[in-house]
Amino acid sequence: MNRLVTLWLCIWVACCPLAFGETLDLRELIREVEIQYRGHSSHALVHMEVATENWQRSLEMESWSLERDRFLTRILEPPKERGVSTLKVDDEVWNYLPKVDRVIKIPPSMMGGSWMGSHITNDDLVKGSQIDRDYTFALAEETNSIWRIECLPRPEAAVVWGKLVYEIEKTTRLPLRVDYYDEDMVRVREIVFDEVQTVSGRKLPLRMTVLPLDKPAERTIMRYRDLEFDLPLPPDFFSLRFLKAR
Amino acid sequence: MLVSLAFRNLWRNSRRTLLTLSAMVVSSSLLILALGVFSGMFADMLASATEQYYGHLVISARGYQDDRDMFADFSDYAALAGNLRKRPEVRGVSPRLRAFGLVAHADSTYPAELLGVQPAQEQQVTSFSRQLVAGRYLDETETAGALIGAGLAKKLGVQPGDELVFLTQAADGSIGNDLLTVTGIFETGSGNRDNALVLVNLPWLQKLTVLPDRIHELAITILEPMRAGELAAPLQTNLPAGLEVLTWGQLLPEMQEVIASYNVSRLILVAILYAATGLGILNTIFMSVMERTREFGILMAMGMKPRSVQNLVLLETLAMGVVSMTLGVAAGLAMTLYMERVGVDLSPYLSAVTYAGGTILPRLSAAFEADNVTIPAFALLLVSLAAGYFPARRAARLQPIEAIREE
Repeated sequence: MNRLVTLWLCIWVACCPLAFGETLDLRELIREVEIQYRGHSSHALVHMEVATENWQRSLEMESWSLERDRFLTRILEPPKERGVSTLKVDDEVWNYLPKVDRVIKIPPSMMGGSWMGSHITNDDLVKGSQIDRDYTFALAEETNSIWRIECLPRPEAAVVWGKLVYEIEKTTRLPLRVDYYDEDMVRVREIVFDEVQTVSGRKLPLRMTVLPLDKPAERTIMRYRDLEFDLPLPPDFFSLRFLKAR
Repeated sequence: MLVSLAFRNLWRNSRRTLLTLSAMVVSSSLLILALGVFSGMFADMLASATEQYYGHLVISARGYQDDRDMFADFSDYAALAGNLRKRPEVRGVSPRLRAFGLVAHADSTYPAELLGVQPAQEQQVTSFSRQLVAGRYLDETETAGALIGAGLAKKLGVQPGDELVFLTQAADGSIGNDLLTVTGIFETGSGNRDNALVLVNLPWLQKLTVLPDRIHELAITILEPMRAGELAAPLQTNLPAGLEVLTWGQLLPEMQEVIASYNVSRLILVAILYAATGLGILNTIFMSVMERTREFGILMAMGMKPRSVQNLVLLETLAMGVVSMTLGVAAGLAMTLYMERVGVDLSPYLSAVTYAGGTILPRLSAAFEADNVTIPAFALLLVSLAAGYFPARRAARLQPIEAIREE
């Protein structure tokens, strides 16, 4: 009997690496997904299309990022909003409004508010880069082509979601979709990634579609182009002074 | 004859009569005053809830008041507002546009509700112009003026003359932002308003939110707020499709309940006080009837009918009731009116309390309400007659012979 158990254990231990391939670092995998458009530093042109029940519009934006905690984006089109900028440094988000030449800091109570009228919240800008700190990860499903990773918030993390589920393609290690569940575990939002292309030596999904599930007619589509990585951007570049000077 | 007999009987023991009378007068006048003060408190509360924000009636797109959806707006309100103003019951009509967003000054940013109004019209509906703690009320000519709540002003650290940035999402999805200049600061005592409300000029907000010539609601004040429901029903039938009229009772259901429960507790208060007063009167009359047992025996022996004896005693109590009612009502009214004019300031001891959507101000004042006088007056008459009935019946049932023999 004992020998049998030992035998089973041996087989199980032997098979383990085979079942999981090389040890899979889920945390690292998710982190890679969250910073896929960033690298150490990045510059990109982004076209954003937002459709809601009441209006539709498209914006042309230019964005820069440095490491995971600094991010700057500026509206190029439409002309009425040209120059409106968002600066994210660590956990804080500022908006620069060229019309009145003022900088507004988004207060904590409004972090759940929409960013630039899209279906992305200010929180998404801040919390996306901290996902490996705020969540625990578990492999929920594995097929021949994908990993499905379930992320549950750590008890102490101040996050708005109840659960995130990432679907990541094995061959490319790129995300296909992310499902967002609220605190009652109801699926409320999904983000779908597609149009994978090789840019600056990296394979990236250049289109990201955000779908709020409670409003089927609404969506935000972001298209990245002219992505460049690992540019020499000084940290100063992401400062309030710079925001105003531009 | 009975009447003059009754009055003479009352005067014969004038000290006792006067004591009873004074108890009746004091109890009824104080009751009238107490009810007046209660009414004053509730009128203050209702006024604070309605005249500090909502108005008595609000016309808006169906469902707007539930979620304040920016797109539930309407236009062509000028004719509707004009017709409403012509009605005799209506005191003021104010078209309003509402926007939620961020206000910022220097380094501080807070969420706020902006209410775009026409200053002169709004003044007839809400009391902001009378609740200024600094600066001036809004002025149409200062297009980008802002009247800001005291709490919000303190958080932002602004004074009249300072500049505010307002940021919101306009109706076309664009990022609406512009500068405002603080013209004045109001303080209502209600945290909801003082900490988050900013009044601005309607055209300024219409332009910022890209909602040209559109509004979210028409706020209406009427002369008699308690009759809002009666006015709402016929109004509703004449409204354009898609619009609805809501009364303050529907907007503030807790306030409606507070006032309904007040109406019940008012009756209970009257009942308790008059039960005590009634026992006092009963006591006095019983004593005077017992004292006069011999006298009644002689009257009946002389041929006075028991019925007349009963009426005689009832007349005495009725006379006392009428006299004390007159004096009590006069004194009660005088005190109520004094409290209405002058009032007692309690602000050194109490601060304002917000309850059921209304604010109880730290002052005692009274409000005249007809029910507060008629209910105590009629109750006093009824109680004195009821208190007189048992002694009167006892007097009428006396046997003349035994009564005369009694010591």
